[in-house]
Amino acid sequence: MRKDAFGQTHPAVELFFFLAVMLITAFVLHPAVTGISLAAACAYNVYLRGRKALLFTLCFVLPFILLIAVLNPLFNHAGVTVLFYLHNGNAVTLEAVLYGIVSACMFAALISWCSCLNAVMSSDKYVCLFGRAIPVLSLLFSMVLRFVPRFTARIGLVSAAQKSTCPEMGKSPVKALKHGVSVLSFTTSWALESSVVMADSMKSRGYGLPGRTSYSIYRFDSRDAVLAALLAAFCVVSIAAMVSKRICFRFYPSIKYSSFGALSAAGYAAFALLCLLPLLLDILENVRWHSIRSKI
Amino acid sequence: MAFYKIEDLTFTYPNCASPALSNVSFEAREGDFLLLIGRSGCGKSTLLRHMKTSLAPHGNMTGRVLINGRPLGETSERDQAMKIGFVFQHPDDQIVTDKVWHELAFGLESIGADTKTMRIKIAEMASYFGLDEVFYKNVSELSGGQKQLLNLASVMALSPEVLIMDEPTSQLDPIAASEFLSTVKKLNTELGITVIISEHRLEEAMPLADRVLVLDEGRLVCEGKPRQVAGKLCRSNSPLAGAMPTAARIFCGIGAEGLPALTVNEGRRLLNSLGLEKKLLPSAERKARDEAPAIKAEGLMFRYEKDGDDVLKGLDVSLHSGEIYGLVGGNGAGKSTLLKLLSGAAVPYRGRLTVGAEKLKGRFSAFEKRIGCLYQDPRTLFSKDTVWEDLESAAFNRDPATAKARIDEAVRLMDIESCLSKHPFDLSGGEQQRAAAAKVLLTEPNILLLDEPTKGMDASIKEVFGEKLRKLAEKGIAILLVSHDIEFCAEYADTVGFMFDGRIDSENAAREFFCENVFYTTAANRIARDVYKNALLEKEVTALALGGER
Repeated sequence: MRKDAFGQTHPAVELFFFLAVMLITAFVLHPAVTGISLAAACAYNVYLRGRKALLFTLCFVLPFILLIAVLNPLFNHAGVTVLFYLHNGNAVTLEAVLYGIVSACMFAALISWCSCLNAVMSSDKYVCLFGRAIPVLSLLFSMVLRFVPRFTARIGLVSAAQKSTCPEMGKSPVKALKHGVSVLSFTTSWALESSVVMADSMKSRGYGLPGRTSYSIYRFDSRDAVLAALLAAFCVVSIAAMVSKRICFRFYPSIKYSSFGALSAAGYAAFALLCLLPLLLDILENVRWHSIRSKI
Repeated sequence: MAFYKIEDLTFTYPNCASPALSNVSFEAREGDFLLLIGRSGCGKSTLLRHMKTSLAPHGNMTGRVLINGRPLGETSERDQAMKIGFVFQHPDDQIVTDKVWHELAFGLESIGADTKTMRIKIAEMASYFGLDEVFYKNVSELSGGQKQLLNLASVMALSPEVLIMDEPTSQLDPIAASEFLSTVKKLNTELGITVIISEHRLEEAMPLADRVLVLDEGRLVCEGKPRQVAGKLCRSNSPLAGAMPTAARIFCGIGAEGLPALTVNEGRRLLNSLGLEKKLLPSAERKARDEAPAIKAEGLMFRYEKDGDDVLKGLDVSLHSGEIYGLVGGNGAGKSTLLKLLSGAAVPYRGRLTVGAEKLKGRFSAFEKRIGCLYQDPRTLFSKDTVWEDLESAAFNRDPATAKARIDEAVRLMDIESCLSKHPFDLSGGEQQRAAAAKVLLTEPNILLLDEPTKGMDASIKEVFGEKLRKLAEKGIAILLVSHDIEFCAEYADTVGFMFDGRIDSENAAREFFCENVFYTTAANRIARDVYKNALLEKEVTALALGGER
């Protein structure tokens, strides 16, 4: 995964961005809006994850869109523009085909945004975000993140160590299962045993005193404020255009969409900028970096 | 600055007839470095835990614990959390969170410090303790030594006035341990923090201490400056005498008067000043090796990931029946990896393994090849609720009468009769190690692989364990002893190999091996090398010196 400029901003800004983009994508079913969102999500995902994301897009997202586009009109016969009739007499309509494609694009965009979210938001960032509101929750989250891999590692250790004393494992399924259960139960009691020490160590460092705070390795600086303001402005403009029906699309019974005007143009532009913001930020950073380096 | 005063402390655990601590009184003055020593189970931990209310065990307590002249209970929990720092034995178990930075912040978050204070403190701690490079890492990526330093740093973030530590280095390798101890000493001298520490690594810890307290069966039997205590213990027949620094033991062993030497340097000067006649011990004839080794590895190559670096780079080693092979070397040299390969848990991508006359290909069952393996943490080997059931499960494929006889034999050999009805986790570290060894022995191995078996054992338990190993070797078992413990290898191994960079670079009979090294040799050898070039053990040096005077 690549280091990107957007990933270095404050987690609150990042969460705000992903929430805004994903909510708008989920609630506004409009070929242009969905298209912009999908394109931006795929581009950002490929930028972040490289070849893996490209493969994912080609091998999963594209076939998924095609599949839904074919399936939707087979089950949904609403709409007035009939393309042809199926042998059982049901109509395949243009509206249903279009609706299938757009909604599939919407799902694909959401999945791609989720993949970006995963790449950008590390566990530290969630800890920071929760910590502000509920300090204990962030601690709990962090403890679980430590416990789970540690527990699985211990199961591995125990079963490796017991290979030389318990040859019965693997001989018959019943015995193997029995052995597995005993390994698991023993690892659990080991975990409980060491949690006694952990509890002591927590108590000893003042856990349980009233007024717990939460430390964050992230700072909200002026750059984050500017970004947040930009994000908010883009959101306001695009949502305004959508609410005031300047960006609007109706599928059933017949396709009808808002005419193109100044506010709708502003709305499209704002939404596109919103979706592309992380990528733009990265491009800007790269350009700046190269120009600095060329001066050295 | 804080000072403690313990007055006539007696403590009995519930349902226990005899007290765990009886009439303990002592004082820790401001800025003292106090070392608490005693055998395993003598009450060190119980005593240390009484010095912080939130950790004090349940039971019947009389006497008083005063801090800064006031009873401990009168100090609020918040003040105690900040002023009294406590570091426990297991580095891994006391870490709470998943990230290094979060762990450093844990105490500060608990006392409700604001972000600005936390930033300053955490920055200070990370740079002072050299944790800045791992600041954003998962704690699971740290080495044992780094983990313990992190524990110390996260306690220090609260700016305590006193540091209490319960055997903090027992799970660390010698290099990490001495680094840890010197950091603690630095905190003591540079910041004036009062340190109360229990240790069994006395070679390093004794010279650092201002005063030493000796605890035996819950009683304070001796107290004084390190030299006084060392002199007194070495000249008595106390079981702790064997744990004293080598220099002090040699000093007292040769009958010198006055306060004993403590460090290698002092011991060396003492021996050189005596004008002793130079002598060599006869080099022990190397045990006649069988023609065919019990297990032989040739040109082993291994890496964990396809694109990773080689961990083993063409390693050759052979183990012979009846021989204890000590394998020493730094961290990350590949010692534990080698054990995995020899026990069939991992497969080399090149090279050959031969057990007896049979060439092994791919994964194999250690059990079928009669290879017993005792991993670093003996706790991984248990699976039942009592030691007895555990042993029974290992003797599964024999008829009851033979099984019982075999178990009895293993139990006697490892000396664990008293542990049989206990839960494996309730045993002490040394007992766990021996119980695990007994379990492995029940599979009747021809080859026994041991990974750091002496970790966490005190001197007297180590001796018992070493003798058991000798007995096993005499029965014809080939033993591979992977260890950081040079003194232990020097005493019990027949052959020693030095592992570096994925290969065993030098290999020789134990005596020849160690006396050729400068750093990697025993303290006794470093002290005596000008006079007795190839003496490795304190008792050898003492015997030679006494013989020389006669």
